[in-house]
Amino acid sequence: MFKDLDPILHSQLRLAIMSLLISVKEAEFTFLKDKTNATAGNLSVQINKLKDAGYLEVSKHFKDNYPQTICKITQVGVLAFESYVKILHSYTEVK
Amino acid sequence: MNNENFSQAESLKLINEMIGKAKKSYVEKGIASMVWGALIVFCSFINWSQVKYKHDWPFGDIWILTFIALIPQIFFSIKEGKSKKYVSYEQTIIKYTWVAFGVSIFILSFYMGKQSQGGQSSTPIMMLYGIPTFITGAVTKFKPMIFGGIFCWVASFIAIYTNTESDLLLMAASGLFAWLIPGIILWTRYKKITSTSV
Repeated sequence: MFKDLDPILHSQLRLAIMSLLISVKEAEFTFLKDKTNATAGNLSVQINKLKDAGYLEVSKHFKDNYPQTICKITQVGVLAFESYVKILHSYTEVK
Repeated sequence: MNNENFSQAESLKLINEMIGKAKKSYVEKGIASMVWGALIVFCSFINWSQVKYKHDWPFGDIWILTFIALIPQIFFSIKEGKSKKYVSYEQTIIKYTWVAFGVSIFILSFYMGKQSQGGQSSTPIMMLYGIPTFITGAVTKFKPMIFGGIFCWVASFIAIYTNTESDLLLMAASGLFAWLIPGIILWTRYKKITSTSV
């Protein structure tokens, strides 16, 4: 019996954000924008969805008088990502 | 990149691609490693020539240069830290390891200065050199630094049985193998990557 994939993670951009953040301690919004090639608006919406799900921690600062958004994956996010990858593997193994 | 649902295979491909992108984002330039390696080699040779030929360096203790070099090092580290758009786990481990090393070597140099009345083994210094070098090499999977760290420990052990003159040559060799050569390799790699990505 297959488990359903987490709908929060099973979206290209949100999964890309989570995959980038799982590899680093924290990252700026601009880093995520560069790597995903997403528009600022779309990226912002998806980050907020991940934040609302408790998968991301988002903090806003000022760096050299410019606003800076830092994103960090939470423990809940790490567990959700691990579980998502595990389910994916179970699907691909059967195929 | 859209938000439409996609297949499991595509998901796995995307995960791998993004993890790969994050890992390739930062390429170490090796400048600090080269500068410190060259400085240690230089100071060791000057100090060695002082001991061997019994002459005085006109500007006092040559090792003071290492303290002076800390100023630009701190400045550039802060500048580099500010320009980084992300912080990796590896960088955090490496940063704290080198801070711990800096503090330890600072205390040790004062301790040795107080204890010595001329001629003291360089064993504890090279032993300390080996720790952050080995950890940095292991964390970044960079073999020249792993080898450099091991070299420092071997040199540190040999220095137990050698005189000050030979200690200083071992120290120069440690600076060469632990930092200067790995730094040059990193710099060459950095130049190669940046020239191909343009």
